[in-house]
Amino acid sequence: MFEQIINAAINGILLGGVLALLAFGLNLIFGVVKIIHMAYGQFVMLGFYLIYVLTVQLHVPLIISSLIAICAMAVLGILTQLLVIEPLLDAPRLNQLLALAGLIIVFENLAMVIWGADYRGIPLYLPILHIGNFYIRFSCLIAFLGALMTLGLLYLFLHKTYIGLAIRATAQDVEIAKVMGVNSRLIYFVTLAAGGALTGIVAAFFTPIYTVHPHFGSSFTIMAFIIVVLGGMGNLLGGFISAFIIGIVTSVSAVLTTAEVADIIALLIFILVMLVRPQGILGVRGT
Amino acid sequence: MLRVEKINVSYGEFQVLHEVSIEVKSGETAIVVGPNGAGKTTLLRVISGLLKPTSGAIYFDGHRIDDKEPHEIVELGIALVPEGGRLFPYLTVYDNLKIGSFAKRARGGFRRTLEEIFELFPILKERRNQLAGSLSGGERQMLAIARSLMSQPKLIMLDEPSLGLAPRVVSRVFEFIGKIRSQGYSILMVEQNARKALELADHAYLLESGKLEFHGGREDFLRNPYIKKAYLGI
Repeated sequence: MFEQIINAAINGILLGGVLALLAFGLNLIFGVVKIIHMAYGQFVMLGFYLIYVLTVQLHVPLIISSLIAICAMAVLGILTQLLVIEPLLDAPRLNQLLALAGLIIVFENLAMVIWGADYRGIPLYLPILHIGNFYIRFSCLIAFLGALMTLGLLYLFLHKTYIGLAIRATAQDVEIAKVMGVNSRLIYFVTLAAGGALTGIVAAFFTPIYTVHPHFGSSFTIMAFIIVVLGGMGNLLGGFISAFIIGIVTSVSAVLTTAEVADIIALLIFILVMLVRPQGILGVRGT
Repeated sequence: MLRVEKINVSYGEFQVLHEVSIEVKSGETAIVVGPNGAGKTTLLRVISGLLKPTSGAIYFDGHRIDDKEPHEIVELGIALVPEGGRLFPYLTVYDNLKIGSFAKRARGGFRRTLEEIFELFPILKERRNQLAGSLSGGERQMLAIARSLMSQPKLIMLDEPSLGLAPRVVSRVFEFIGKIRSQGYSILMVEQNARKALELADHAYLLESGKLEFHGGREDFLRNPYIKKAYLGI
């Protein structure tokens, strides 16, 4: 039993890395554009289908189709900004939320029309590593390491480039960023493109682990949202920490109970933290 | 250099500025004096492009700028030191200065300008890795001024640089503004502390309830009996 729990915790940490990536994107968009991207998980779902079509039906190598999916999701992010978010930037919050929630329905039904309700996966058999009594799925390890690397690159992008600095400044005070010479409209597009590319990367890491179906994204939207709020909205470090908390809690409680109960436990912890610390674990800070 | 011609500005139904015209000549310092709510800050916001006038025109260096975006106006060489400094509190002092040089015209000279700034404000060099939010009031105001200089502007607009600072600190801030002025920058300053501000002014404007009530050279301004009584307390 004890070994099982440790094993689950390890899997939770590995999963947490990918969730951290997803939460990072959601957080970045919220921090900069001040909008909650309700259809963020659905981006992952579309990215997954795209990789599926390219790899399984068109026989494109997995690496290439992943790269194509990453670019395609960045473009989808830009289109979302152009067609949905930008026209509503000054609209009431509720209208923004509803418009983006509407995208969920658009994306999921689009997937349903094109690919139907079947579960589709990419046949890819990666080894399982045995270390003593523990086992680690190689696919999860790749996803974890890849996610950490992506986060590292994002950190460098935000802290070492002019455009990254402009993104951080815009998140803190868009008006003053403008009088510093920052074109905020451009920064919003860059942010949505980066957020979109992240969903493509997440989809690529998920392909050897999961199978995709039209509602595949919804649980990840909720998961990412919980992580972001738990860590403190707009706080990238808080999101990083809470991604691992949620990852470990769901995997360990899935072993102790069932997967359904595990979700309940994760949500209960979320509600409890919100009652005690509504601002999240690390409160609201800049990036 | 800067010419504001008969601008009208409204927030929704409420008109804030009525037919306001001012001019700042190259190398000169102009001061706009007036009570709270007279529209002083609004005037600077309009010139920066954050707010569009309903009518009138603004020219800078031969370009018409009242229909331009804020980032385009920065590129032409106007920098704003906003009220209270408005630093990026979670960026370091260094990053605040770096974002000040975001304009394409200033980026290439970032290193050189930074050296000059550190010479002018040694305290900022000491605190370069600290978060801007952890600075004292006077240091923040200086960083805000330094940040505006990083864009290598031709005209610097200062919005109430003495607001909320202790009297001793106010003197130091004005000393710095005097230093900047002597380096040949054009300055447009909005200030309630009329007496201090007028010491630096070549030209001064009195703005009350969104209307220009008086303008003239420093001497004319100081001699005006109404201004003496209402703003200088003499």
